[in-house]
Amino acid sequence: MTRSRLGLPDLGVGAGLRVPHYRDILQRQPAVDFFEVISENFMLAGGKPRYHLEQIAERYPLVQHGVSLGIGSPEEPAREYLTALRDLADRIKSPWVSDHFCWCRAGGTELHDLLPLPYTPEAIERVVTRAKRIQDFLGRPLALENTSSYLTYRESSMPEWEFISEVAERADIGLMFDVNNVYVSAYNHDFDPYEFVRNVPHERIVQIHLAGHTNLGRYLLDTHSGPALDIVLDLYRETIELAGPVSTLIEWDEDIPPLEELLAEVERARAVRDGALAARARRSALGLDASAVPARPERYRIVREQDTRRASPGWKQGGPREGVAHEERS
Amino acid sequence: MTDLSELQRWMSDALTRRRAVERDPAQVAAARARFTGNERVAPEAQLETYREQFWLRHTGALLEDFEALAHVIEQQAWERLVEEYLAAHPPSSFTLRDLGARLPEFVRSASWLPHHSLSADLAATEWAYVEVFDAVDSAPLDPSTLAQIPEHAWERARLLVAPSVRLLELDFPAPALRRQIRLGEDPELPARGEAHLVVVYRGSDRNLRHERLDRAEFVLLSGLARGQALLRATEAVIALGPEAEARVESELGSWFGHFAARGWLTGVELA
Repeated sequence: MTRSRLGLPDLGVGAGLRVPHYRDILQRQPAVDFFEVISENFMLAGGKPRYHLEQIAERYPLVQHGVSLGIGSPEEPAREYLTALRDLADRIKSPWVSDHFCWCRAGGTELHDLLPLPYTPEAIERVVTRAKRIQDFLGRPLALENTSSYLTYRESSMPEWEFISEVAERADIGLMFDVNNVYVSAYNHDFDPYEFVRNVPHERIVQIHLAGHTNLGRYLLDTHSGPALDIVLDLYRETIELAGPVSTLIEWDEDIPPLEELLAEVERARAVRDGALAARARRSALGLDASAVPARPERYRIVREQDTRRASPGWKQGGPREGVAHEERS
Repeated sequence: MTDLSELQRWMSDALTRRRAVERDPAQVAAARARFTGNERVAPEAQLETYREQFWLRHTGALLEDFEALAHVIEQQAWERLVEEYLAAHPPSSFTLRDLGARLPEFVRSASWLPHHSLSADLAATEWAYVEVFDAVDSAPLDPSTLAQIPEHAWERARLLVAPSVRLLELDFPAPALRRQIRLGEDPELPARGEAHLVVVYRGSDRNLRHERLDRAEFVLLSGLARGQALLRATEAVIALGPEAEARVESELGSWFGHFAARGWLTGVELA
């Protein structure tokens, strides 16, 4: 039997570390359980990004989340990239390293996107083989995240949750479970998000992502803009009831708010998590299976109404880079 | 090649095309053969969502790093430049930070650009800032170290220039113009003047700065940055003429002191 969260710690509720908050975080040291950093923003030789990272690493636990592994790409991730990833993980003592079930390069071109894979046996084989190797190379657990997607392949022969479950089990890796992504893809591809949540191996979920998105009417864009919708928090509650205490992180990358607002979103998630854990404990006290969440049909309703907010010019996948664009305005 | 790899290479080609999927009948047919679509979004529109994001993301990344260049050449030329640049140099690094690495060279060869010489200077300047921003950290040279170099070792000693230093020989005051534009101003474009010899560097507070140098200082620091020994770098300054030679006699020590105080020097290698 797989140990819960692969034996990894529950870090509580944290937030994605983003450039506009560095100063506030270092000055005020707010009560956030942990921060997540985008690996590629810190796989650099020096300068402010590394300086800030080291300052914050002295004060908070950090976990590392990447956007460029492209584990399902035709070409394998470059050794140089993996070495830099491992060096960063060693430096910040990241208990696990995560990236996505996706591909991002082909024929030497880096597309800088999280492109969905067709859910086929061939793709499973490729990702399983590489995930095992990469996890060994990194020397710490690898967790892969379900992506938001905007297209569906004719050749897919299974639902997404079956695909990610089989990869996770066979490669013996963790799941970075993005609840907002489940909802976005459910909306975009007309499946039941609760079926997704219920059918992944919960004991392999090592971290959860929550975020907002943008509703363009015909489809949702995973912009990480705004707070998580209530319906996404409902899915989160269900996930926690099924999986138990799992490190949870708020991602906010578009129209990044003041730190206070981000912290309020952290507390909002914490309240949901505490409620779900209490419900789980009650079931346990009654001698019931803690993860036997009662069925709740018709609990969710997908709202196909376009946001009045301006549509995002592009999904950011991990927030703004810390770069010269920020240098003279911070 | 596997079916999966073949599909991905086709998609990569489709996503990097400038033309919208829906406007290319062959791409529409190919998309319909590969994607299901749904009652709200056709297969070609599913692919188009990703194609559009490819261009938005990469244009946005270049705009972040070359904001002043984009401002000066204006929207239409900027869009053409990005399109031609990405076609010539598709993204090949895992990080968007490297996306503009070849843009300065590309701008130099793009003679159709408005304000071409100024544009070339701006591109070089803006890329220097990108490189300096996250260059390897290095401890600054303690100025007292210079005084400890034995007299006989000076000729062949090398003063190591910090990795976070870039030297630019420009026709226009591009760093000042860059700064004005990034602060939201809309300055008059400068006229070509005397050469602007500039060092872009990262200060001890990790903020980026630039400083104008005179020709003698610039030649000296450039020689050191190229790894020249002190004697050779100094000879290059002397070759500028009698005035420079006289300044070497009287000012060399203060130049090194200034370079060290700014953090431009990071060590000494004695041969």
